[in-house]
Amino acid sequence: MSKPRPDRAAEVLGKVAEAAGKVPLQDRRDFLMRGLALAGTAVAGPALAAADEESFLPPNVPPWTRSLGRGVVTVPYGMPSGFEENVIRRTVPWLTASNISSISFTPLPELKGIITPNGLVFERYHAGVPDIDPGKHRLMIHGMVKRPLVLTMEDLMRFPSVSVIRFIECPANGGMEWRGAQMEALQFTHGMLSCCEWTGVPLSVLLEEVGLQKGAAWVLAEGADGAAMTRSIPLEKALDDTLVVYAQNGEALRPEQGYPVRLLNPGWEGNTSVKWLRRLEVGDEAWYQREETSKYTDLMPDGRARKFTFVQETNSVITFPCPEKPLAAKGRYEIEGLAWSGRGRIRRVDVSLDGGVNWQPARLKGLVLPKALTRFSFMWDWDGSPALLQSRAMDETGYVQPNLTQLRAVRGVESIYHKNAIHTWRLAESGEVTNVQID
Amino acid sequence: MSRSTRGLLFAVVGAASAGLLSLAAPLSGLAADAQKIPEGATIGPDVEAVEISLAYRPDPDPKRAGYYGFGEPATDEMIAGWDIDVRPDGKGLPPGSGSVEDGEVIYEEKCAACHGVFGEGEGRWPKLAGGFGTLTEDRPEKTVGSYWPYVSTLWDYVHRAMPFYEPQSLSNDEVYAIVAYVLFLNDIVEDDFVASRESLAAIEMPNKDGFFVDPRPDVKNAACMEGCKDPSDIRITWDSTELGVTPVEHFKAEEQAEVAVDPNLGLNIYQQACATCHKGGLAGAPIVGDTGQWGARVAQGFDVLVEHAVNGYQGSAGYMPPKGGQIQLSDDEVAAAVRYMVDNSTD
Repeated sequence: MSKPRPDRAAEVLGKVAEAAGKVPLQDRRDFLMRGLALAGTAVAGPALAAADEESFLPPNVPPWTRSLGRGVVTVPYGMPSGFEENVIRRTVPWLTASNISSISFTPLPELKGIITPNGLVFERYHAGVPDIDPGKHRLMIHGMVKRPLVLTMEDLMRFPSVSVIRFIECPANGGMEWRGAQMEALQFTHGMLSCCEWTGVPLSVLLEEVGLQKGAAWVLAEGADGAAMTRSIPLEKALDDTLVVYAQNGEALRPEQGYPVRLLNPGWEGNTSVKWLRRLEVGDEAWYQREETSKYTDLMPDGRARKFTFVQETNSVITFPCPEKPLAAKGRYEIEGLAWSGRGRIRRVDVSLDGGVNWQPARLKGLVLPKALTRFSFMWDWDGSPALLQSRAMDETGYVQPNLTQLRAVRGVESIYHKNAIHTWRLAESGEVTNVQID
Repeated sequence: MSRSTRGLLFAVVGAASAGLLSLAAPLSGLAADAQKIPEGATIGPDVEAVEISLAYRPDPDPKRAGYYGFGEPATDEMIAGWDIDVRPDGKGLPPGSGSVEDGEVIYEEKCAACHGVFGEGEGRWPKLAGGFGTLTEDRPEKTVGSYWPYVSTLWDYVHRAMPFYEPQSLSNDEVYAIVAYVLFLNDIVEDDFVASRESLAAIEMPNKDGFFVDPRPDVKNAACMEGCKDPSDIRITWDSTELGVTPVEHFKAEEQAEVAVDPNLGLNIYQQACATCHKGGLAGAPIVGDTGQWGARVAQGFDVLVEHAVNGYQGSAGYMPPKGGQIQLSDDEVAAAVRYMVDNSTD
């Protein structure tokens, strides 16, 4: 067999490589940069930019259609388009003393459906994100059990797994607004919120595996991070729907979300879903740890405080329009939003356009799952007049999302956590949207 | 997953899609019944799945460790190393002791930079002392003394998570001493107090009866649909844009310039990224305001200091991590913080 002629193949491959070198994305970016640089500086700028822009539009054929794109595994772990660089978590620096013990917010205005992409799930750490080697991580289960155990990640993953879609919300979500509206963006008013498909083992399976002793009533969950975060979980919850999860939206947990393993207490305040889980201790009493005394207790006007305020009650917010996504001009719009309840499924969502005088039912879109984000939709022909937009959710227990006046009447303004009030967006004639509070 | 469950899931998805399709129907006058949840969609697949996984469980076998037999037994020695929690009844407190006097020395070295010499709290770091009688006031101060119900929590937390920059580095005696000193700062013990398992058992915190179990749901709203209030009563009580305290440059381009010339940038970055060490002198960091410590450093030139701050620096007194460990900061932000520190540390 004679040697194949390499020159022809090499020639073709060379052309392919050359063509692929003309990366259309870069063309587009260069164009944008030029457009931005010119806009407002030279008189000829806008005209030139417009001409340039037209070269991409029909009847012209844009460069990315006349060239090759990137090959496989150029980006082995796929990332969003560079044009989506605005879709990121953000923080409000003055909220906390250090970004090691702080919070960032999910960009809710940019999200579709009910699933939060892993890289956009809000962050909350008390001592930063640890880099944990899963091979060296252990989960210990002990206390009032018959057979105390130490599990490797491999051991844990041998148990039959379940996957559920559940929201996680920090109980301080919206907590900056008890006294008044001060966050100017949806990302900051409601962004301590996420919803993922979580995969792991029911805690009940693990507790049956170790065997509970008589009198067991609480489980202490502890993290392996520098805060060694702890929460006491009533056994009733632990045996109901608490999970020990190691995967999120189909892949391993992100380090920010507790890699390699975390607790998930569906419907309960996010702080109880202890990340980087290293230990579960069974006992007959609660431990009254720092995160269930000094923090995550709700101070009432009489100076006493509620403890073990676990449930995230029914809440909702309109995500379009919102301050980040104003309306461009009058016309037909699909008003959208998210509703969720820590007690079960959302039964219904109503929308008001006049600050709560009149309400109309919205449509629930897609899956309506218990303790998960539920998307609602409301078609509206906006005539260009100012409006006060609100949403009001009801869950399957019949509980109706309250307004802020009702919450303040009972709780005052110093309880920080669990503000689930009806939210108001003021829509101006310009289409601009502002976070306001109304009487 | 069983065949029947698979069928159920399909039915759920089918019903949901049908609901979506109906959206394409004429939009005017959406009838109330069209907004109802599709019948099948209220059945989540998840609860079923949990039951299925439990169904895999083999019969208990007394000769095996547990049903599945995965993992290794946790030995007493392993448990002793990790079981660090302390309960209000004192369960978990180890042997050891520490005095108020010892505590003062350790506190000033390891705690005061953030929590203040008198427990008053620096910047946004937690205030530890005082605040008595403020829980019903307009701005309540929730400190160890005014709010925490149990002293066990103080021991547990200091031991597991403090100091912030070096958790689980304190000996049991040091923790007892710090606990004694924080109690002293709150006037809960005298200056001759020595904390130990026995003496802490007798401590009753002032706010021990200040907590009660969550009574929610505590408000009842009605699902009123029409004429729910008088439109003329509606007043806008708060407008978030009047405060201007949140970042908006990512969607309000015209305000970007304002942010760029923020005169407090250096101070803000310093408080966010530098003060942990440079306020109190942790890890050999020169203390802001101490002209003696800064003199030789400033003499190297501003650019050298910025270079060290940006890229990190191993000095004779200690180690400066790149950008103070906060690599998300821009070089300009770090430079602004260095400028703030230099300006406040030179005559």
